Amino acid sequence: MGQKRGPTGDVIHERRRRDDGPIHDVGVPEDQDIDEDFSEKLVVPKHATMDAVAQSHSFQRDSVSYIFGDHDYTWLPLKQDHESRPLWITEDGHIILEGFSPIAEKAIDFLITIGEPVSRPSHIHEYKLTPYSLYAAVSVGLETEDIIEVLSRLSKVPVPESILGLIRDCTLSYGKVKLVLKHNRYFVESSHPEMLQKLLRDPIIKEARLIGEEETNQNGALITGKAPNAKDLLIPGVKKDIPDPNKVAAGASAAAGATAGQDGDEIFAVVGLDKDDDDVESDDVHSFEISSSSVETVKKRCNELDYPMLEEYDFRNDTLNPDLEIDLKPITVIRPYQEKSLSKMFGNGRARSGIIVLPCGAGKTLVGITAACTVKKSTLVLCTSSVSVLQWRQQFLLWSNIKPHQIAVFTSDQKEKFLGAAGIVISTYSMVANTRNRSHDSQKMMNFLKSREWGFLLLDEVHVVPANMFRKVLTTIAAHAKLGLTATLVREDEKIDDLNFLIGPKLYEANWMDLASKGHIANVQCAEVWCPMTPAFYREYLRENSRKRTLLYVMNPNKFQACQYLIRYHEERGDKIIVFSDNVYALVAYAQKLMKPFIYGETSQQERVRILQNFQHNPKINTIFLSKVGDTSIDLPEATCLIQVSSHYGSRRQEAQRLGRILRAKRRNDEGFNAFFYSLVSKDTQEMYYSTKRQQFLIDQGYAFKVITNLDGMDQEQDLVYSTPAEQLSLLQSVLLAQESEADLNDDVEPDADDLTGNTSRRSGAVAGGSNGAKRTVGGLKSLSGGDQMAYIEYNKAVNLKDKDKNKAEHHPLFKKHRNKK
Amino acid sequence: MSKFQTSIHEYLETLPLQTFNRLYQKPATCLAIFRLLPPLGKQIIMSSLYVDTPIPVTDMKLWFKESAGLMKQKEAMQRLKALHIFSEERGNYAMNATFLEQFRNALTGGGNSQSFGLATSTPDKHHVDIAFLDDYATKQWEAILHFMVGTTEGRPPCKGVLNLLGRSGLMTGGSDVSSHADSMDARDFASQMARQDFGVPKITHKGFQFLLQDINTQVWAFLLQYLNMAESLNMDLVEVLTFFFQLGSLELGNDYSSETLTPTQTHLLEDLKAYGIVYQRKRGSRRFYPTRLATTLTSGTPVMLGSHTNATKLAAAAAVRKGEEEEGDDHGFIILETNYRLYAYTDSPLQIAVLNLFVHLRDRFPNMVTGVITRDSIRRALTKGITAEQIITYLTAHAHAQMRKHTPVLPLTVVDQIRLWEIEKNRLRPVQSWLYSDFGRQQDFESTLEYASELGVVLWSNQKRRLICITTEGHQAVGSYVRKLIIRQKEQAQQAQQARQQHQQQHVPSIAS
Repeated sequence: MGQKRGPTGDVIHERRRRDDGPIHDVGVPEDQDIDEDFSEKLVVPKHATMDAVAQSHSFQRDSVSYIFGDHDYTWLPLKQDHESRPLWITEDGHIILEGFSPIAEKAIDFLITIGEPVSRPSHIHEYKLTPYSLYAAVSVGLETEDIIEVLSRLSKVPVPESILGLIRDCTLSYGKVKLVLKHNRYFVESSHPEMLQKLLRDPIIKEARLIGEEETNQNGALITGKAPNAKDLLIPGVKKDIPDPNKVAAGASAAAGATAGQDGDEIFAVVGLDKDDDDVESDDVHSFEISSSSVETVKKRCNELDYPMLEEYDFRNDTLNPDLEIDLKPITVIRPYQEKSLSKMFGNGRARSGIIVLPCGAGKTLVGITAACTVKKSTLVLCTSSVSVLQWRQQFLLWSNIKPHQIAVFTSDQKEKFLGAAGIVISTYSMVANTRNRSHDSQKMMNFLKSREWGFLLLDEVHVVPANMFRKVLTTIAAHAKLGLTATLVREDEKIDDLNFLIGPKLYEANWMDLASKGHIANVQCAEVWCPMTPAFYREYLRENSRKRTLLYVMNPNKFQACQYLIRYHEERGDKIIVFSDNVYALVAYAQKLMKPFIYGETSQQERVRILQNFQHNPKINTIFLSKVGDTSIDLPEATCLIQVSSHYGSRRQEAQRLGRILRAKRRNDEGFNAFFYSLVSKDTQEMYYSTKRQQFLIDQGYAFKVITNLDGMDQEQDLVYSTPAEQLSLLQSVLLAQESEADLNDDVEPDADDLTGNTSRRSGAVAGGSNGAKRTVGGLKSLSGGDQMAYIEYNKAVNLKDKDKNKAEHHPLFKKHRNKK
Repeated sequence: MSKFQTSIHEYLETLPLQTFNRLYQKPATCLAIFRLLPPLGKQIIMSSLYVDTPIPVTDMKLWFKESAGLMKQKEAMQRLKALHIFSEERGNYAMNATFLEQFRNALTGGGNSQSFGLATSTPDKHHVDIAFLDDYATKQWEAILHFMVGTTEGRPPCKGVLNLLGRSGLMTGGSDVSSHADSMDARDFASQMARQDFGVPKITHKGFQFLLQDINTQVWAFLLQYLNMAESLNMDLVEVLTFFFQLGSLELGNDYSSETLTPTQTHLLEDLKAYGIVYQRKRGSRRFYPTRLATTLTSGTPVMLGSHTNATKLAAAAAVRKGEEEEGDDHGFIILETNYRLYAYTDSPLQIAVLNLFVHLRDRFPNMVTGVITRDSIRRALTKGITAEQIITYLTAHAHAQMRKHTPVLPLTVVDQIRLWEIEKNRLRPVQSWLYSDFGRQQDFESTLEYASELGVVLWSNQKRRLICITTEGHQAVGSYVRKLIIRQKEQAQQAQQARQQHQQQHVPSIAS
């Protein structure tokens, strides 16, 4: 290439220009965890797919209207006193909020309840109203007219008709009917009897109805009772000096309501949701009972009828399931945002199912534990890996007064049961969802799990779990209340919405920047370091196919040097550094060249533990290299600096999860402490495009990625690796010789073994796969020839021999001819 | 096209003495130039206006204390001398006699009073008020600006304006017809411009710079371009300038007679009408009104046309008042976030159109627009010749009060990114070099290459085609080496197998690191 093209740069320039154009996603499978078929089977009420549709309006268009198309809302007149109102609302449900408005904080409380946060940087926030978010709002007790009223009070412009329509449609039917498990019987409950009558007219639901002995008089009569309230429920850990416990427990659920009374703000005066809640709830509620076997059908039917049911668990009136002796230790105090999230869950004295979103390191575990302590029933905790299983157990023992014998662990290594009538079991999703080849012990354990009724099901890291696995879990385990915990409710495939119907609506989502400024999570400086490709590497990059390209831009010598330089710099500052590389080939190459310990999929259990312990306690080991195995659920509060060498394409979730590894930094409360997050990117390659995509989530949370094009002082640095052209060339050669499959990022961790401490079921799984018949795999020469612990079994030798002969004979004459030629 | 001058001072200083002498014959001009001077210059003139003898340089030095003062005095005198108000002769400062006389006239009201315009003696039947004039000026001026940013607010400006835009380099030709295809006039213009090799106009680097300036500077820049054009149209410069300065001294809201104007000035009046600087009810009318654009020409105070607050009529009166106060403070209306989203509190189509040059706009409300800065939107601006620095300056200058609470005002990451997007475009760097070609023998090529690489002056070489690029620094050494080679060759073999050396001064682009 060099000779022909010449150095005039024209050709190179042209090529680059081509690269500058829109780079299309090269069909990268992105978080394909939720399987396609399943999502089709999922029954979603029809409003859920509804979107506010812009209608055409006739208004005075001017010279610039064409820029905006349908998004020109100048026909919405400004209100007289618009300056004191903090937000605008568009016809398609976008809400734009002035973050500097004096009443912004309350408005945020309200918006977070009714909408999805889109972006929350320092000045202006954006939210979006979606059917799901409105469902969530209803489920925490907001009423349609309240939402509309408050929204129009806050808005500078009148709320568009389409939005009013969306709100009405999504909230009128939703949340009005509740499925309540009481005294181990399922009741369909509502404060609107006419709604129940309507449901009962449906043949399927009618069939499912159970007529109890106490209401033998008439077929259509409903059971009428007092509505529940949270009068005497106190979430443990809430500070005792709060003046009105009732208000805290019930009130915070009402978003802005809690503070409304205090300063009598005119705009919020009507949001006396606190009061409203009580008013409504103290009304009589009506219900009818359905058989437990038909719960699933009724739920489905209700979704179809557009009356999706809220699931609530009246745990205080559940006398059938034995209580669990558990409470938070007196010293345990939960933080305000944790309390707020919990109050949304236990708003009316019952447990609502749903998802709580908190940044990594913000104490999701404690929220889960506190919730378990509130419910005080048998609890099943599911997490993603056996390491987190142990961490959860340890956290339970740390924060609550539960006895060690009441808490059991169910992993491939440990299969215990708790003693006594009630207790806690902690396990992984894969253990519970796995259907085949169970050992005798685990089968026994599974039977135990299936046989009993769980008061509370706690689901950790819900965003990573495939939907089919969820479904399996949720159908095999009978649980009254479900709580999902996650830090990043985003998926590239947008299938996150399905979780709303599998678990429940999102109950709370915290603001990252807010928590960071209050010191609950570490302040992080994010930077994207641009490493120019060396000419030799770039030439090959342009030549190679897309898979090999990955390897080339990851192994770029300049990136190598930048990585080495950053490690050295931060080690001197006394930081503990984690280097992430999704690409195993690069991981091994980097770590070996820089002589640092590394962990990836094949690292053995003992090795992992040893490396992690050294990293935590040995002052000489300040840097470790991790593959994707370290993305989630590893708790290394020592780490203060994170360098990302290669990553999973444009996954926003991975970026956020990785950032989470340093958010819980131990030293975060030191004055002026900053954690560092570097993303090394090879310039002018696809990596740049992915990098921008990945950062979107964090940028919308208000993080700023600084682009570093030149690391100060790197020029003066002595003995950097690959500093001579000869060394670079030999590196290039070895990269070019590497297997194409080395560029793949997914072969490191099997999907169900996303497990930092290794997993003994892996090998047995491979054998099991073999015995089931032929399995097609793609592998490099190395792995096919046994390099990656693979063995061949030959079936039916004789047949193969015969085939060979047959093949010989069956050559087409044409090919024969060619053969002879050669 | 000559350098784009933005300030009248720069322009005046290029004029010869004769022109000044003619200019200074009008008291209005003297006054106008006086008003354009910095305070110290004014002070010096006022102090020496009624001193009849030349002032010795040493005496003037005594007026100032300390060295800092002297520095300023020197600076001010430099200006005055450049404008030919003072001249230095034999250690004395002498004031230009014409200037002296006419400036005295201007102050005392003597001499030919018509230089300040002749107010009409009869009342106008179609009298217009100041509000009308303001409205007229805004509409005319913004029509030009709108045209520049590519939106057609009302009618496109007339040919004179278009011509000026093209000639001044504020806009250049392009192939984008779509945005103007719907208006007849623009199409006429297109054909007209095409004949002059301009194509359909597009805003240029200069044009964007022009948009970012305040309105007073804009008007002056425009008028200066007019002056440049006037020269080529054989209009009398002095008459044009005199008229400009005369306009500056007129009173807003009064009507003036156009009967005393020279033919050149009458022609000028027509053009200025199009810019919104003067108002004339109909062509050939005997009276004209200066607008605010004219009367503030030499006053040095910013023009308060209330361009975009004007349209806030929708909002309550209180809001408008408050908006204007803010306007007076800092003109800030843009909020730029770290996530590249931009929120601009504006309802002015002009502002929106300017933003649209480099922002991907999304939603528009009566008092706010939202948008996001993307790589594409910035690149679009960059290809138009707008620089990253200009964008950043614009954003900084118009940052919202909330943004100003922080330092730096704009999020650093976004600013960096905009700059990086610009750098991305500038990958080629020209390096002056010498190309050596046509080596007769491979060994000559090789030895030359070896020699040159020892010196470290090789930019590039090609073995196959026997080409070497040598830096300008290395040319001499390598050149003499090659010459020696040739001579030796001649000596060794008598044959004419010469390596011909070709000097070619050319730009060899090489990739910027």
